[in-house]
Amino acid sequence: MIDCDIHHVIADQADFLSYMDPAQREWFQTRGDLGLPGYPWSHPFGFANDEGLLEPGYAPGALERISREALDAYGADVGILHANDASTVSLMASPYRAAAFARAHNDWVREQWLDGEPRLRGSILCPAQDPLAAAREIQRAAATDDRFVEVLLCAGSERPYGEPRYLPIFEAAAECGLQVAIHTSGEGMGIAAPGGGAGAHTFYIEWHTVGSATSVMSHLVSLICNGIFERLPTLKVMLLEGGVAWLPGLLWRLDTNWRGLRAEVPWLERRPSEIMRDHVRFSTQPLEHTDGHDSLLFEMLEAAGAPDILCFASDYPHWDWDDPKFVINRLPKAWRAKVMHENAAAFYGDKLGLVTA
Amino acid sequence: MREWHDVASLEHVIRDGRAIVRVGGREIGVLVDPSDGSLKALRNRCPHVGSPLCRGTLRTRESGTPGAYSLEEGKVLRCPHHGWEFDLVSGVCLDDPGMRVAVYEVKVLGGRVHVLA
Repeated sequence: MIDCDIHHVIADQADFLSYMDPAQREWFQTRGDLGLPGYPWSHPFGFANDEGLLEPGYAPGALERISREALDAYGADVGILHANDASTVSLMASPYRAAAFARAHNDWVREQWLDGEPRLRGSILCPAQDPLAAAREIQRAAATDDRFVEVLLCAGSERPYGEPRYLPIFEAAAECGLQVAIHTSGEGMGIAAPGGGAGAHTFYIEWHTVGSATSVMSHLVSLICNGIFERLPTLKVMLLEGGVAWLPGLLWRLDTNWRGLRAEVPWLERRPSEIMRDHVRFSTQPLEHTDGHDSLLFEMLEAAGAPDILCFASDYPHWDWDDPKFVINRLPKAWRAKVMHENAAAFYGDKLGLVTA
Repeated sequence: MREWHDVASLEHVIRDGRAIVRVGGREIGVLVDPSDGSLKALRNRCPHVGSPLCRGTLRTRESGTPGAYSLEEGKVLRCPHHGWEFDLVSGVCLDDPGMRVAVYEVKVLGGRVHVLA
């Protein structure tokens, strides 16, 4: 089993800051939250599932807990580690601070996490608000360790990631043989556009229903329409935590619009949905609850390319995480091996370093 | 059984660039292809939702590479309602090759336009 989304947190700021450029360390020390932007609303009882998980005594997402609760407990072969709050580094006002943060974070991940747990693989943070600097950091970090398997971008952004300004990020990822993960987070934070498309949300429940999904939709459509996959044929993108039940409808809209509006994007010679199937994967979590209509959900998803486009993710240790056993039991039997393991193994390829029997 | 039908005067078609004519129960559009002056005839019914296809614009279709636009050779017919484009010779919908509109042979005899329908 491969878990495509395990989160870790910076529990010990002093330890983290030991990786920081000394000339910038004081600036980060004197900010709350290490200078990262914050949401204007907050979860009513806590983002991380401290109460529900097995053993107290460790910070949520600390290495020992990840090993035991996310990997051992479900027999996971590999877990892909994603920054928690730190994924919003690309929404800091200062691209210079963001570059320093990302660099420190990548080095810290390598030494403090990947060295400590052989089943974990890392994702590279980058200052996406400065795409040339981001590309340099991707190249630097990738050269330091083969256990980095992807670049992590948060779905909160100034503009959708298909915009040509972001091209250096995707080019650097492709050059380094890395895939790109775009993970829901940061919509409306810092320099990001407001989530949802109708102005700022009032509540966390609104963001978690709308803002966290529409950002992912926007990136998907933008990447396809701007021809990123025509430019970079080896590039693959994983969209995380934006949900999937909306996907068939979005693709039907996009394909229909492409037929009539193709003149805007004449470089798309295939239906957008076909491009998506070849290049984009979706995390299962949070797999929408359907109030008894699971068979309808899976039939719709099949029309969009499932099971090949779905990869299991738990989102450990967040409050809305999906228990692997729960997901396996919901999935159609014929989907289970692909969704729980094979699709992610194909997505990351040799980078995953899996020993195949 | 197809047969030739005298549907319009050539002068009329050239003056207006097109003529919408009725043959039996069908509406057919006779269009002057601006790329070479030839006449083309297609059924005036878009296979998408039945719109009057032959009232659409004859235009040059774009192609390109990401971020760079160029133009293809020849002209295509763009449906006036939803913008789907059709090849004038084969009738194939270029935006959904599973769809096709009927096309008809055209000839001119003594200043009159005939279609084989």
